[in-house]
Amino acid sequence: MNEQLIPRLQQIQQEYGYLQPEAMDRLCEETGIDRAQLISVSSFYSQFRTVPYGKHTIKVCVGTACHVKGADRVFDAFRRELQLEGDAITTADRRYTLERVACLGCCALAPVVQIDDRIFGHVQPGRVGEVLAEFEAMEAQDEQNEAEDRRTTQGEVRIGMENCCQASGTAEVKAAVVDACRSLGIQVSVKPISCIGACNQVPLIDVATTDGHIVRYPNVKPDEVKEILLHHFRPSSRWRRWRNAIVNQIDTFHTDQTWDNILFTPEPQRTQTINTFLEGQFRISTEGFGHLNPLDIEEYIALGGFDALTKALTTMSRQQIIDEVLHSGLRGRGGGGFPTGKKWQAVFDASSPSSPSSVSVSAVHGRPHPSSPHSVPVAAVHGRPSPPILVCNGDEGDPGAFMDRILLESYPLRVIEGMIIAAYAVGAAEGIFYIRAEYPQAVIRIGKALDMCRERGMLGDRILGTDFSFDIRVFEGAGAFVCGEETALIASMEGKRGFPHLRPPYPSQKGFHDRPTLINNVETLSQVPYIIRHGAVEYTKVGTAGSPGTKVFALAGRVRRGGLIEVPMGTTLRQIVEQIGGGVEDGEALKAVQTGGPSGGCIPAELCDAEVDFDGLNQMGAIMGSGGLVVLGESSCMVDVARYFLRFTCAESCGKCTFCRVGIRRMLDILDRLTTGQARMEDIDRLEQLALAVKRASLCGLGKTAPNPVLSTLRYFRQEYEEHVRGICRTGSCKQMVKFEITDDCVGCTKCSRSCPSDAIAYTPYERHVIDTARCTQCGLCIDQCDFKAIIKVPSHHTH
Amino acid sequence: MNITVNGKKLEVSGQRLLIEELREAGYDIPSLCYAADARHEPSCMVCMVRNEATDQMLPSCAIYPSEGMCIDATSDEVTSLRRMSLELLLSDHRADCEAPCTLVCPAGIDVAKVISYYDEGRLAEAKALLLSNLSPPTLPCATCKATCEKACRRNTVDQSVSIREIIQEVAQTPPPASPSRLCMAASQSPAPPSPSKLGRFSETEKERLKQIYSQPSRCLHCACEGAAKCKLREWATKAGIKASPFGKSSSLPVKEQQHIIGRLWYEPAKCIRCGLCVYNSNDGFTFLRRGFDMQIVILEQSKKNVDERLAELCPTGALYIL
Repeated sequence: MNEQLIPRLQQIQQEYGYLQPEAMDRLCEETGIDRAQLISVSSFYSQFRTVPYGKHTIKVCVGTACHVKGADRVFDAFRRELQLEGDAITTADRRYTLERVACLGCCALAPVVQIDDRIFGHVQPGRVGEVLAEFEAMEAQDEQNEAEDRRTTQGEVRIGMENCCQASGTAEVKAAVVDACRSLGIQVSVKPISCIGACNQVPLIDVATTDGHIVRYPNVKPDEVKEILLHHFRPSSRWRRWRNAIVNQIDTFHTDQTWDNILFTPEPQRTQTINTFLEGQFRISTEGFGHLNPLDIEEYIALGGFDALTKALTTMSRQQIIDEVLHSGLRGRGGGGFPTGKKWQAVFDASSPSSPSSVSVSAVHGRPHPSSPHSVPVAAVHGRPSPPILVCNGDEGDPGAFMDRILLESYPLRVIEGMIIAAYAVGAAEGIFYIRAEYPQAVIRIGKALDMCRERGMLGDRILGTDFSFDIRVFEGAGAFVCGEETALIASMEGKRGFPHLRPPYPSQKGFHDRPTLINNVETLSQVPYIIRHGAVEYTKVGTAGSPGTKVFALAGRVRRGGLIEVPMGTTLRQIVEQIGGGVEDGEALKAVQTGGPSGGCIPAELCDAEVDFDGLNQMGAIMGSGGLVVLGESSCMVDVARYFLRFTCAESCGKCTFCRVGIRRMLDILDRLTTGQARMEDIDRLEQLALAVKRASLCGLGKTAPNPVLSTLRYFRQEYEEHVRGICRTGSCKQMVKFEITDDCVGCTKCSRSCPSDAIAYTPYERHVIDTARCTQCGLCIDQCDFKAIIKVPSHHTH
Repeated sequence: MNITVNGKKLEVSGQRLLIEELREAGYDIPSLCYAADARHEPSCMVCMVRNEATDQMLPSCAIYPSEGMCIDATSDEVTSLRRMSLELLLSDHRADCEAPCTLVCPAGIDVAKVISYYDEGRLAEAKALLLSNLSPPTLPCATCKATCEKACRRNTVDQSVSIREIIQEVAQTPPPASPSRLCMAASQSPAPPSPSKLGRFSETEKERLKQIYSQPSRCLHCACEGAAKCKLREWATKAGIKASPFGKSSSLPVKEQQHIIGRLWYEPAKCIRCGLCVYNSNDGFTFLRRGFDMQIVILEQSKKNVDERLAELCPTGALYIL
């Protein structure tokens, strides 16, 4: 009954836009769930809201990558544009509601804004008016009929259609391709493909001709599409060919658009950036990138998909599979790095009656847990074990991470294959995909992929004709970072607040409804087919001795080329940033790399030559985490970065134990004082003392790792903390510690005055402008506008 | 079954929680969120011990001993972390254990209680209490420098309660016919330490307090009604905590008292979110939101579902009988 609570709440919100009181009354009557429980659960998850929203919801992403690129300024700009005052989040005409969202997973396009289902990338504070206008225009425009033309084709145009690609205007490019094909009379099929990870180069299209020749075009603009197509395909009729030639000539001479056209740059130059981006990568989880259609099961099979499943089900015993995974040395990619094979073995043992270890399990953990009244393990009571269950953990909540989203959206079949193998190995008949609700596209794709697998007999009764039966359902998370933690995830699936439990008992012994529960991360499962297909020995050849295999990272922040990358373990951070990422943006020097999101730490540039694997990162005070890599340059303030993460964990703490609930809040109090110039020297020591205590004594993984961003920045950048006590923020990131000033370089061009949204700069042509500090909101628009670099940030208490 | 505690062997049944075993063996393990015969979840972390084998910090109220377990129950690290958890809880606990006026009165008058009676119009009882506090029974206030009025919390809102005038007024009321039951119980012993303080009020809090506490004395009644049974106070005092080093701030409204049912009252700002009242009521108290903003609330319609005995479970004065 309770298990249905979260899905039912999601339905109500879907229907009414919020938790409508009458619908909630009906829910109580129908299900018998009491009011107290309803409040407790619905108020825990950030997805649910109790007030109606405007017609459209604007979500400003405040993930790590967006934060370092000024998401707060974008948020303020929207507030100004929409004239929201005080606590208001919805406009007076109820058209828009503005909110912050933890991370949209489009980090390479930061700052990102989502309006309803449309994503806008690289949104600068000065552009919010345009974004709204663009959105209104799209709304007005009727949905284009995108009926696929399935006649004989001259080739294929492949377009990445992931969230992040869509954010950068891929939808427009796709529309342009369809339009151009129609008007030019070219018959090609337009195929959406999975993410190739080069998110910095989108919109990106591949043109494949029937002779197998593929040409890749990065950063395509809609008006360039026609030329690209003409370059490769001949229009079907001679008349059209002739007409196109003339029109194109005229275009070339009469517009300046074609001068800078990508077609005129030589091929090597054009593809070089992408090729260096892809160099040094090794594909296991993202095998088939750039040509695999996420939902084409035939294509997946043609690429060797489901070979591993067939091999496992028809030639291997359960124990053999577990041993293979154990020998491969695969470690959980969700963050902790626990050996996956050991976890499988534990679930297998807990659910097999004869195994000696299942006896010891119930002997050690078989006592009633004090917290739940009906928690006597079934195994202990009936003398026979309860059936195990498999959960794929896709609750990727780290701001600055989007690996799992891309794997789910682009390679759903591989993850499913990994799940079926895992289920077979541990003997589970039931599987659950736990996917966060912020990833609607992933939910849809996985749903479709599951249907395909069922049609093909890969899921359901008697898989591949064997006597193994298994099926998977999807559970949508309702927005709580803590639910990435295994025991909290189980609580939320059971329809409770996402409160973690003390471990032991581990979920592998007593998890979902007290059944042995195997919980593996999306990426972990997507590595499994490779291991089974090629064998553990082959797998261990990739990566380092302690951490074999590859790791998928989301590379973002102040890096030139961000995106999704998959590299062998042991690659150095510098290789990733310099070679793959192309170095820090705007020619800045590398300052640090933040790994592991809010649970991880900042690794300073001088340590970036160390190899990246689970143990290496732990030694440096960071963690692998789920794989977010946020690059920080000289212009990033480390105290601000630490405060950013603490603000996140403070909001995401479940609130159960004292150290996490109050301790993190008190750490944040100190960081707030530091970033506003009100701290004293002893605050730094107190912060450190608190951080160590929270790390030591919190109940679950969230609290135990939450101090890492503070501890690592204190370890490597303590002098920056001390500077803040003295009232100096070198980078100008901490608003209250700096003010804007106009230097003698000003020529009086009035650009700044015209751009200022708060009238803080008087309109004085040909005279040096002056900023009225009292009115200045430090939105930074004037700095962006000034051609003479005449506006600078200075410490606020030094000048008058 | 045998376990090792602080290097010494201890024989345990294995059927009882570690905290019970340790307490029986004579270790004074503090705890707030644990109640022996009720449903509870580990949350306060003040009963922490260290598992030497794994070097993990564990709430002893949530684990059962297992064969060969090595527990460190009193090392410096363990006690300092316990202390810090108490300090953190105190920083989010907006309450005065004792009213400052009572604490500072050189004559030992229970000023707060006298004013309470006065505000309820129970002047005879107020007088009886006043007299029982005084020996010899002469009012020293006329010559006193009025430390009570200087210490008065109301000072930080607008101006002090006119305590001496009220006491004067009480002293002049005719004596009661028979001594009240309550005044017999009043003790002369010095007030115990008060590790919790209300802290500074924000401007909006001041406005709210002015409105709520207007009649007739303007006293804020800062003394805690649950002080006598408060475990937070007990353990903080034992740990030698005089005040939280982390300052005071709470997301909850200060001095907001809600009537629940019968004689049961609830003051959210004193709540440490242990959840005992939630786990032990059915469709009664419940959690709202999460993290630092998490609070425990009760719907109007659910108040009938709870029982006065929850006040005994509550480890602080958040739930109290009046």
